[in-house]
Amino acid sequence: MTANPYRPIPVRIEQVTIENEARDLKSFELSFVNEEHRKGWHFVPGQFAFLSIAGVGEAPFGIASAPSEPLLRFTVKRIGTFTTALHELDRGSIIGLRGPYGNSYPWDLMTGRDVVIVSGGFSFTTLRATLVHILQPENRPGFGDVTVIYGARSPGELLYKEELKELEKRPDLRLVICVDRLNGADWPKTEGLVPNVLRQVAPAATNAVALVCGPPVMIRFTHPVLKELGFSPDRVFLSLENRMKCGIGKCGHCNIGPKFVCKDGPVFSYQELLTLPQEY
Amino acid sequence: MKAKGERRKTAGGMRKGSRRSAVGGQRKAVSSERSAPRILTRAEFDRLIDELVAKCAVYAPVAVEETGKLEFRRIGSSSEVKLEGLADVGVVGQLGLRPKELLFPQCEVLFHFSPSEPGRMVEPEPPQEQVLFGVRPCDGAAVAFLDRFFSGRSDSSAPSDIYYRARRERTTLVGLACNRPADTCFCRAVGGSPSGTTGLDLLLTDLSDGFLAEPVTEKGAALVADMPVASQADMEKKQRLAENAGQAITTTIDTASLKRRLDRTLVSEGSGPADAVWQALSLPCVNCGVCTFLCPTCRCFDVTDEEFRGRGRRMRVWDSCQFTLYSRHASGHNPRATPHSRFRNRVMDKFSYTVAMVGELSCVGCGRCISACPNGIDIRETVETLLKMLPE
Repeated sequence: MTANPYRPIPVRIEQVTIENEARDLKSFELSFVNEEHRKGWHFVPGQFAFLSIAGVGEAPFGIASAPSEPLLRFTVKRIGTFTTALHELDRGSIIGLRGPYGNSYPWDLMTGRDVVIVSGGFSFTTLRATLVHILQPENRPGFGDVTVIYGARSPGELLYKEELKELEKRPDLRLVICVDRLNGADWPKTEGLVPNVLRQVAPAATNAVALVCGPPVMIRFTHPVLKELGFSPDRVFLSLENRMKCGIGKCGHCNIGPKFVCKDGPVFSYQELLTLPQEY
Repeated sequence: MKAKGERRKTAGGMRKGSRRSAVGGQRKAVSSERSAPRILTRAEFDRLIDELVAKCAVYAPVAVEETGKLEFRRIGSSSEVKLEGLADVGVVGQLGLRPKELLFPQCEVLFHFSPSEPGRMVEPEPPQEQVLFGVRPCDGAAVAFLDRFFSGRSDSSAPSDIYYRARRERTTLVGLACNRPADTCFCRAVGGSPSGTTGLDLLLTDLSDGFLAEPVTEKGAALVADMPVASQADMEKKQRLAENAGQAITTTIDTASLKRRLDRTLVSEGSGPADAVWQALSLPCVNCGVCTFLCPTCRCFDVTDEEFRGRGRRMRVWDSCQFTLYSRHASGHNPRATPHSRFRNRVMDKFSYTVAMVGELSCVGCGRCISACPNGIDIRETVETLLKMLPE
């Protein structure tokens, strides 16, 4: 029998990290139970995978770790049945994994160009993977200037805070972390909404690719700014998240017109989205 | 020789030179020397059924006691099979006869598990060989569509659905031409025919005094290989029946023009004038989803876990794009929050999306959605309005 694409492989939770003040965002770092599964697992930043708990179900999540990192990381918001069950699990628990699924960020196009990453809220996950991947010593020379604008509602809601503080020190990265309201906090340094901060930072659009991921309202107000800055629709890429059940283009749920987010996405150029109904 | 002897043994009671292992073969197109149409009397037909019943699961239209309506049921003997009048679609109706369920069950176990043993999953036994008798040509065409959609063949970026494939590979479809289509039938408007063979292995035509059997695949040819070859007169009779049936379907749809018009509405900027058309068309629709459950090409499913007393299973269960929950994110955001956007998704899927996905329309003109809609929505009228109201 050919490999069953619906059958998850076992992974072990090695590390659980609470990421925010509201304690509804946790990072799960996973290792493969079987060596053959670890060897067979290859992904590119921007892809996603399903996590599975027998008896509860499964749900798709963007992969938050880079391929070079030893553990597979997923940062999950507690919001529904599955994520609530997952949040209750501790180190050592065995869960299921299937994937990786979907396309990825446009690595061929990004190579040799400036990269602008715009992200809001907890959707920073696959963009963190992307950033870590770009910053690998062997990969970094392949890209031009790298600008990251990452915002959250408040300082306590920012993901990966310690890591971001380290990254801020890097000379080969322009990292602007912002929050809607600082409320007297001494970090981060910037107050403001992501689209406004993007306008102020004004990364050059010439020879650049923009990667955008965030809540629908952030995306809506980010597009006009990217347009102002001179980014053409074919140089702006969005990572989408639609409800999905199978991940392999069969169950139907995640369609946007004739495209499935799971296999034709989750990354779409803005150009492509202009030819699709606004069903995301 | 040994193998041959064994075959004889398992097919006990069969005549000399009989049908051998008629099931389980390849679905490849029939070779020219085996393609000759055959003729089956009712007695021959019954014998064929009874031989098959001994070897595999046989499904055929059976009059259900409670309703008197015909439904596909697993039969144990040819005496249960009701074929009289089956070619008269208007009298028999379409709603009870749904071969889709035998290839893509409404509930299907993906694997069994036990929560106390995480990581251990047991897939169900492979499905049994099955032969379906009395499949309508429109449903054959629908199975051919499902084959393409689930196979991933025409779309290399998606893997094959192994559960669908396992059933399909073990299924033989024996069609029955519709001699008298119903007034809801419009297969010819969407590329089909009341005597079409797409997706089928064998096509029967009810000639009143027997069945003409035309092999489509080797699998189908194997079923009737030892039956007498049909005469010229039989063929002419079939031809007349097919022509009359074809003429009874008068609906026409310019599907190419329709797709062009629909595709022009695929824009993300604002709602536009097309939105008003969809709103008006969908006004009677209550998003009950009956059209999608009965549609022979609708194939959406949910995946869900069940657990009881330490035993669990992961299942897939039919779902419908007409339901709010179908597209709603965990955050509460719903990309198709309005009833008319869900109505539009269904119509677009049939006449535009699947053409882009796998190169085929996914409406076969069976008319089930017309018969079953509680509010009288007629897809033919919907399409007519779209052709009139949307610019090309």
